[in-house]
Amino acid sequence: MQGPLIDTLARQGVSRRTFLKYCATLASMMALPPAAGLAMAEAMAAARRPSVIWLPFQECTGCTESFTRSHSPTLEGMIFDMISLDYQETLMAAAGHQAEAARHTAMRDNAGKYLLVIDGSIPLDQDGAYSCIGGRSNLDILKEAAEGAAAIIAMGTCASYGGIPKANPNPTGAVSVSDIIKDKPIVNIPGCPPIPVVMTGVLAHYLTFGSLPELDAKGRPKAFYGETIHDRCYRRPFYDQGKFAKTFDDEGARRGWCLFELGCKGPVTYNACATVKWNGGTSWPVESGHGCLGCSEPDFWDAGGFYKALSLPADPLKFAAAAAVVGTGAGVAIGFANRSKKGGAKSAHETTTLDDLEA
Amino acid sequence: MKLDVIPIHVANQPPGEPGLSGNAPPLLREVVEQVRRLIESGEPSAIDLSALPLTPADLDWLQEKLGAGEIAVTLQASGESTLNETACPGVWWVTHRNEQGAVNSQFIEVAFVPELVKAHPQDVALGLETLEFMIADRQGDAD
Repeated sequence: MQGPLIDTLARQGVSRRTFLKYCATLASMMALPPAAGLAMAEAMAAARRPSVIWLPFQECTGCTESFTRSHSPTLEGMIFDMISLDYQETLMAAAGHQAEAARHTAMRDNAGKYLLVIDGSIPLDQDGAYSCIGGRSNLDILKEAAEGAAAIIAMGTCASYGGIPKANPNPTGAVSVSDIIKDKPIVNIPGCPPIPVVMTGVLAHYLTFGSLPELDAKGRPKAFYGETIHDRCYRRPFYDQGKFAKTFDDEGARRGWCLFELGCKGPVTYNACATVKWNGGTSWPVESGHGCLGCSEPDFWDAGGFYKALSLPADPLKFAAAAAVVGTGAGVAIGFANRSKKGGAKSAHETTTLDDLEA
Repeated sequence: MKLDVIPIHVANQPPGEPGLSGNAPPLLREVVEQVRRLIESGEPSAIDLSALPLTPADLDWLQEKLGAGEIAVTLQASGESTLNETACPGVWWVTHRNEQGAVNSQFIEVAFVPELVKAHPQDVALGLETLEFMIADRQGDAD
């Protein structure tokens, strides 16, 4: 490990003020109080770079793409200066036995202290033969690497929940990291791919506070996965007014109304797309006119058709009528009906059947 | 390419715009509290504007109310940042932009001088080294 981070950054031409500015923005994205930006900058500047071992398992490299091609190279790219990335197959120059040797050296030298990043799911069928590196199964490598890790970051939906490899009928017997490792702290950063800044935020939190951020019931950092896409969606007022696009080219779609009836999974999906957005804050799926696929939720691939609306209560108008009788205004009544719609959607989260796919 | 080059008429203006949400006026009270704290204890504070539900109109309203002061600092550090004192001394409007010019984050900072403007002692020490090196170099030339 090298000296303090700020010296490493300075050598690469990153000034202290650039770093302070970056930390202020990062703290804002993580919903930390403004003063935390300064505290983060001070702590991170003095921190030693932790060793990071990044293992790719049954994956498509989309997570790495998302992370390395994030909008501003100096922003998320900076995270590569904050860490000592000792093993990453896609990025490292070494190959074959040299690469494996580098991993073992890093694991031995930083035993108990390194961060382990996993992308991809782990296949268990056929003794894990579906995905091997250097003749060893992913399961074997994961267990070995997890033993000396301080914490594990499951990057992407595959590592977090099994993801697309786990989709029915799960031919490889794919499972998530947390299905296998039970004795280490694990942070899930789901998404297909995940938002790059979430990864940066988790690492920054670890460097600043020496601990992992607060997680929700599905192991996700609350700062980024605390609210649904729907609750932070700029189209939400249309939902509350009962204004829905019925097809992708009708008047409602052109007016930018709510995409709920076109299958948007926003109401049951926890992620930060609606606020952080994509491509440097340019846009995000709903803003481009397509509903949310729900890619940061377990089994999103099997959770009903992408264009099938989340299930509705049998007769939404009945709710509206009941509310109107009590003497509330029509607007409130529609809002009420829509709220119950959302509740219904949550409780009756459907699973895709073969019929759905063939229809 | 700029978005307005694309010949599509946006039927829906983002909701709330151009209206005021009513969320801005309470912030003035918070600024008052923070200025009071600065005078009494010297403790600086800040309000993260990007974390609050404010419409562009709200931000314009706030900026107009706070006015423009005498000092405007521009920082070039992976994109431009502006740290402008408002008409109320000690209250600064801070905007961080990325290289593409998009706003990354925005704050109202209450401080005698925003932290970002101050030079860090370690950086000053580096500057001193450079100066001393310069003098040593000149003396070397003279000899």
